[in-house]
Amino acid sequence: MIADFIDGPFWYFSLTVFTIGIIWKLVTIVFGKRKADLSVARGSGISGAIKTIFSRFKADKGMTPHIRLQVVAGYMFHLGLFALLFFAAPHVLFLEENFFSFEGMSFSWTPMPHWAFIIASEFAFLGLLMLWLHRVLNPVSRLISTADDHIASILTFVVMLTGCLALLESFNELRLLHRFSVELFLIYFPFSRLMHAFTFIPSRAFTGAWFGRRGISS
Amino acid sequence: MSNRFMSKHSQKFTCQIYFFLYLIFFLCLLSPLNVSASGPAASKINNPSNDLWISVRHNTESGKVTSQVKSVDSTVLINPQADRWTRFRMTQLINYGLFILSVVAVVIMLFYLFRGRIKLEEGLSGIMVHRFTDYERILHWMLAIVFIFLAGTGLILLFGRPLLIPVLGHEFFSVLASASKEGHNLFGPIFFVSLLLMLFRFVRRNIYAKGDLTWLLKGGGLIGKSHVTGGFFNMGEKTWYWIVILTGLAISVSGLVLVLPNFGQGRVIMELSHVVHGIAAIILVSVSFGHIYLATKGTEGTLESMKTGYVDIKWAEEHHDRWAKECHDNDRLISAEDYAKLQGRVVLDQNVSASPLMEETK
Amino acid sequence: MSERLERGLNTLRAQIDTKVKSYFSSCVHCGICAEACLFYTETRDPRYTPIYKTEPLHKVWQEEYTFWGKFAKKLGLSRSLTEADLANWEELVYDGCSMCGRCSMVCPVGIDVAYMIRKVKEGLAASDYSPEGLVGAAQRAVEIGSPMGIRLKALQAQIKHVEADTGLKIPMDVEGAEYMALLSSMEIINFPEYIEALARIFKQAGVSWTLCSEAFEATNSGLQIGNSTVAAQLLERVVAGAEKLKVKSVISPECGHAYAAIRWEGPNWIGSPYSFKVIHILELLDELQQSGRLKTSGKEAARLTFHDPCQIVRRGGVEAQPRRLLEPIAENFVEMTDHGRMNWCCGGGGGVSANERAEGLKLKAFNRKKAQLDELNVETIVTACANCRLVMEEGLEENEMDIPIIGLSELIVEYLVEDKE
Repeated sequence: MIADFIDGPFWYFSLTVFTIGIIWKLVTIVFGKRKADLSVARGSGISGAIKTIFSRFKADKGMTPHIRLQVVAGYMFHLGLFALLFFAAPHVLFLEENFFSFEGMSFSWTPMPHWAFIIASEFAFLGLLMLWLHRVLNPVSRLISTADDHIASILTFVVMLTGCLALLESFNELRLLHRFSVELFLIYFPFSRLMHAFTFIPSRAFTGAWFGRRGISS
Repeated sequence: MSNRFMSKHSQKFTCQIYFFLYLIFFLCLLSPLNVSASGPAASKINNPSNDLWISVRHNTESGKVTSQVKSVDSTVLINPQADRWTRFRMTQLINYGLFILSVVAVVIMLFYLFRGRIKLEEGLSGIMVHRFTDYERILHWMLAIVFIFLAGTGLILLFGRPLLIPVLGHEFFSVLASASKEGHNLFGPIFFVSLLLMLFRFVRRNIYAKGDLTWLLKGGGLIGKSHVTGGFFNMGEKTWYWIVILTGLAISVSGLVLVLPNFGQGRVIMELSHVVHGIAAIILVSVSFGHIYLATKGTEGTLESMKTGYVDIKWAEEHHDRWAKECHDNDRLISAEDYAKLQGRVVLDQNVSASPLMEETK
Repeated sequence: MSERLERGLNTLRAQIDTKVKSYFSSCVHCGICAEACLFYTETRDPRYTPIYKTEPLHKVWQEEYTFWGKFAKKLGLSRSLTEADLANWEELVYDGCSMCGRCSMVCPVGIDVAYMIRKVKEGLAASDYSPEGLVGAAQRAVEIGSPMGIRLKALQAQIKHVEADTGLKIPMDVEGAEYMALLSSMEIINFPEYIEALARIFKQAGVSWTLCSEAFEATNSGLQIGNSTVAAQLLERVVAGAEKLKVKSVISPECGHAYAAIRWEGPNWIGSPYSFKVIHILELLDELQQSGRLKTSGKEAARLTFHDPCQIVRRGGVEAQPRRLLEPIAENFVEMTDHGRMNWCCGGGGGVSANERAEGLKLKAFNRKKAQLDELNVETIVTACANCRLVMEEGLEENEMDIPIIGLSELIVEYLVEDKE
């Protein structure tokens, strides 16, 4: 009964909330009314916007020694998660079956080998643990972090952990636990800081445009 | 337990006594005496195939068997080690492991009952000294969290059959065991990496030095009230460090051998690794009880060092006098006011500045 | 709710635009911005974390625009902005932030934190939670025309000295001149060498220029205190003066925020583009040098470095020009490790130097600049902002460091090739 709920209506519900929530938030940001800047631009705002979307992936050289943990653990977590989300064999199969199948035809891609899956997961866990511990132990992040930040970190960890526990793919209960935590994650996503996964693009673009008009690379 | 005739403190004390007695009783129920050993019943009927199989076993042991299949252990038809290993695991490791863990837990509880929390003689002063950086604390807690997860899942796997199946039933336990095994296998390498990071970060401060023997001979200040000397880390902490590193490495290496079976390990190596893994784990878990106790309930002012990175100077002077002196000499003391600022806890006064200009230009 | 709080809330609400929404949605509270802020790095007080300074605006955004915020408000559970918040954030925003914008350069999700702190100032100013020094400065600017209370007479007295020293006439109210030069009060009083530099360079380069008696003040106290209405009012005087004299361009002097005010913010305050161009003095000198109209001879032998004024370089875009100008006249020019758009603030911008209460904090923040200088072991510091100059002089004195500071225009003039008449 619960299995049908988790595999059925709750899945569709969570997917709907996730999709609509993200589209709604992004639309209000990207298409929101903006006052035109009446000053005379020195450089191009658009080129600044596009450049900054990519330039912020690299930390400033002078800053790096002071933020090494956030940068290293941050990349370990994000890259590991990205890799296992889209290239782990069970996920590739899931995505193919649920999103890319239509009338007998389906689209999928080559998953990474199992050992790569394991390594990616370990990087992701290590990174996330270090980041969350940093959030709790560093006075700056402790002061500025909100309940939202902690819930997001822990929810992400639970999703990853339940996935790990179900790795053998032999017990339906464990698969359902993982799927259920994913569904909770999807519902929570649009109402939380997890939205940064999408909003970082317009944010970087806005700032890049501001500096671009002034002729400063940012 | 009456409450008209005993003070609140006595009531609490009595409660604790009863709790511990119940716990000891419960643990006794689980004592080695109750876990049955499994072994083959002696056969009274002469099996005609006996001679054949004895000969097969003999030839296996003397390496006379050949096979067309060229892979690890392909010439091993009977593994006599396996029986020994199985019996070791089912009788000795499980039984003695449980016994050791219980005894350590009980000893610690008794110690707390009789010695109580080791408080600072002069109390907390509010003047702080920086002890651990953010990175060091992150490393410690990461190792701790991963260790607890691994210990939990590992103990479920080790003691599950005798202890948990009777309580949870086979079906639920199989789900739990599967989940524990997957989790244990994945987090093992993370433990290894964290351990190495801890090794490199703290090794210099943990080299045994002058004064450490004195500390040991005086019982580390745990027995009686004698003053013991210590540097940044005292002898007890250093010993805990080396136990962690050595047993941790043994666990990690044997764990890696177990979790990556595709490198030509035969059954014998796997069995040996399991034995090392199990014994080292029991040792590490039981000593960790002591570490966790002392770092939290056991001594006043200790947990702060790992939570905030700062310790009270009085704590430093009482437990690590040589390091405290260094702090004094190098002027590293931080006042309570400055400490509050560093923790972001200052709330400013309400300094209001009215501005007539604002009224004019509105 | 008190009237002050209500004004503050309304102003903050009006400050929330698309960018603010995007920024607050993206912030994951990583704390990287703190490591870019000299007020944090030199005090290790986490309350100076840049994104923390935006908390008043964040609270309003949360309550108005987020699901949980709106939900909590309906249930009466939310912790709305209080007057105590405004009072407590006054120190963080005005004393503990120079608007240098270094935080905006390092945020991994691209938040322009300084942009948002500027908006918080609007709310604080509207609710009268601003430092006395800045309030007084704004008042004097509106009533007298200069935050330091300098009237035309004082300027004329300085002009007389400059004319006597140089033998050149300083043009005043010349209609149809190509350039109208603005001056900061600081330059007029403390560094009149700047006026001399202008006179000599423009004479040599044949630049047609003038001062305006009705609008010579470049600084904008409205910007410093965070009140756009006052900022617009002050700027309109400059616009009126420029239009009256029908000049082609207005020159922004060696003053940081003055450039930000007139070049980038101004048209948005008054709601229309200018009928004239705005150029920074360094940009103009660079143009003159590139076209050969400005020639120098000889080089400064002393080991020197350039301090980048935040509002001119990082937030203004005039990064390459000072280097191009220094190249022919400095033999031994060394860059600070963090230089150009990533240079560290002097600690006194954004109104901090006009705020007496912030004196102690400002001197502490200067330790960052001190560390940069200690690394280099220079004999001279060159900069292009009178406020930076003064703040650094005070900082150097406090630390018993004997390094002279010189303005870039002033330095150029020392090596200027002038026709002898």
